[in-house]
Amino acid sequence: MGNRKTSWPSIAVRASLFTLIWSVLGGGATASWWVGIPAVLLAVIVSVALIPPTPLIWSEILRFVPFFFQRSLLGGTDVAWRAFHPRMPIAPDLIEYPLQLPPGLPQAFMVNTVSLLPGTLSAVLEHNVLKVHVLDRQKNVVAELKALEQIVARMFDTSLNVS
Amino acid sequence: MYDAPGRTRRQTINPSDYLSAALLIAGAVFFLAGTLGLLRFPDVYTRLHALTKADNVGLGLMVAGLAVQAESWSVVGKLLLIWWLVLIAGASVAHLIASGALQRGIRMWKP
Repeated sequence: MGNRKTSWPSIAVRASLFTLIWSVLGGGATASWWVGIPAVLLAVIVSVALIPPTPLIWSEILRFVPFFFQRSLLGGTDVAWRAFHPRMPIAPDLIEYPLQLPPGLPQAFMVNTVSLLPGTLSAVLEHNVLKVHVLDRQKNVVAELKALEQIVARMFDTSLNVS
Repeated sequence: MYDAPGRTRRQTINPSDYLSAALLIAGAVFFLAGTLGLLRFPDVYTRLHALTKADNVGLGLMVAGLAVQAESWSVVGKLLLIWWLVLIAGASVAHLIASGALQRGIRMWKP
């Protein structure tokens, strides 16, 4: 981070992403770009100010997408089954998971994704320790969190610090 | 009954309509599960599980069902954008509610 050489490609990626979003919203009307181009430029400036450009590994993001779809479908089915079941089989617990990801975007991404995985909900993040509410304490949640953490680390091109 | 010229093809039901209907109904089942969980589950934390996860899948299936019927790629793009925004809003709001509840000392339900 803060490296001038690596920040320009990621700014270009953001600009093209916002351009794509505008073209979707505008539905291809040429006149809409009179508003669209300033809006895209403003969005790039605001996004760079709020989140410093970080290198992303796109091949890893492509690998994350099917993982995320499969896990969130499983998570939805799991909780739906528990909600419909007459005896409502839940055994909640709160576990502490020390994050090895660096603070900032990688941690924020991890925290938000955990809530959509089967049976886990991000409760509190304090001093790099994530408290996770689990719906069924019988399940091996830690292995799942470890697998996710490794994928996130590869996406953001960082290493997990072994403490 | 013609709603627009050149739209006669729409009067017959094609296979994609069945796919669309199946996806929409499946999505509704997940929304029902999310609401049922909200009513049946014992505390705020377990209710958040039901809302975030079941509604995420429900909306995803609805979006997929509507995308099958979409007339242009920009409509598909809009639908995906809606899904993605609801996804990140749902996940971050669930985290904020859970963390607020824990900090206020709201105890979790245990069997």
